[in-house]
Amino acid sequence: MVELNDIRVSFDGQPVLNGVNFSMRAGEFVYLVGPTGAGKSSLLRLLYMDLKPEAGTVHVSGYDGATTRERDIPHLRRKIGIVFQDFKLLDDRDVYENVAFALYVTNTRRSEIKKRILHALADVGLSHKRNQMPQELSGGEQQRVVIARAIVNAPSLLLADEPTGNLDPSASAEIMELLRKINTRGTAVLMATHNYELVRRYPARIVQLKDGKLFEVELRER
Amino acid sequence: MQVTYILREGFSGFKRAKLSTVAAIMTICISLLLLGSFSILVLNANSIVQSLREKVEMEAFLGDHLSPIEVSIVRDSIASLPGVREVRYISKEQAATIFKEEFGEDIHRVLDFNPLPASIKIFLSDGYKTSRGAASVYNAVKQIKGIDDVIYRKTLLEMLDRRATTFLWLIFGIGVFITISSVFLVANTIRLAIYAKRKIIKTMKLIGATRSFIRWPFVLEGLVQGLVGGCAAAGILFLVFEYLAEWISAELSDFVLIEPIYYGAIVAVGCVLGILGSAISIRRFIGTAVVHE
Repeated sequence: MVELNDIRVSFDGQPVLNGVNFSMRAGEFVYLVGPTGAGKSSLLRLLYMDLKPEAGTVHVSGYDGATTRERDIPHLRRKIGIVFQDFKLLDDRDVYENVAFALYVTNTRRSEIKKRILHALADVGLSHKRNQMPQELSGGEQQRVVIARAIVNAPSLLLADEPTGNLDPSASAEIMELLRKINTRGTAVLMATHNYELVRRYPARIVQLKDGKLFEVELRER
Repeated sequence: MQVTYILREGFSGFKRAKLSTVAAIMTICISLLLLGSFSILVLNANSIVQSLREKVEMEAFLGDHLSPIEVSIVRDSIASLPGVREVRYISKEQAATIFKEEFGEDIHRVLDFNPLPASIKIFLSDGYKTSRGAASVYNAVKQIKGIDDVIYRKTLLEMLDRRATTFLWLIFGIGVFITISSVFLVANTIRLAIYAKRKIIKTMKLIGATRSFIRWPFVLEGLVQGLVGGCAAAGILFLVFEYLAEWISAELSDFVLIEPIYYGAIVAVGCVLGILGSAISIRRFIGTAVVHE
């Protein structure tokens, strides 16, 4: 599913990831923890090929970072769902159209689109808000729209970069429940976070980024 | 690529970003109005110069002592000169009437007599409406016995000869300047509108939209904006040149000739401006697949 070997990434000469190895199986739930600036987002960017490593190899959902052409990157991104701390919704269109966009890019049949959007919105509990604009929703609701958009194409991998970073504890808990539910259906989830409280409450495999290296961490050690 | 998606997205810009859409349409419309009125001037520049030349007429004043037969001989002599297209005799009485029309005073009342001489108006043939051509006619007319004086707008003709080419180049230069400014203005307005959507474009890339998938709705939007702006500009120009000019002066509307295809060209230029403006602007923002720079 995901395989990173001996990855090196640096910005302005400063190494951020240095000799990182990481692998993830289909259907796994993994927390990626570490302090701000540790390189969590950079590692996720490697996976959706928004960043090329200076050294090392990247394999994601059958795509090899070394051989994937620029024009094939959109096709990889359609196979993985991405969830951000700052949501990244299309603020010029309503909830329904935001989710629909992920289906338009995959050229999904019209008859299929409506059905899948309604399923995805029902999954995140927002069917009744399908005609609202993103600005009219709470932070937790906006994040749920992003999750609906990320899962509408039934991805095998979901990348979540601090998905609860901007949310209050109860909204964070809702998002966690949702991600767990998605995971139990077979979608692998890699979630970057520095909310250790959530990690403790919803246990799963944990990897930690520290000083450019990646370590497996046992929950009880924390 | 979904055609229905492109069509829907292309047109939904009008609903989603009303202000920037209206700004783009107005910019295209104003640019085309400038460009349109100036191109009318360019297209008619030659006839403007020509009409100024038409205004050049020559007048030969006759001595008071001439008998009607002598007048007739003088008239025929002038009419037979090369470069003379037409002559018209103006008697002393007719000259007084013209004077009254021009100055509103009856010269008989002011002076008790009519000092205005009879004259012969000379209309030059087309090839002689230059300073050299007019001078040759002038010299020949002066030689004719019975002519007291000959006048014509020598300085105007000399100026036209000297300046006509400069004038045409100047108009052409200003036209080029306006064209470039228009393209720049339109591209800039569209670029600002697309710049406002750069976050949306980034998000589209993250969701897996290909470059062409992002590009085509913007290009269609540009085309529609250009079409609307072009139609508005063509409509305004039509009203101005077909009706307003006629209303101001019939002479002006005769003078400015506009073929119907011209209005079609304005609309077409609007469409091209819209397409180019958005295609060029979007290219910068779509860039590569990299989202975070």
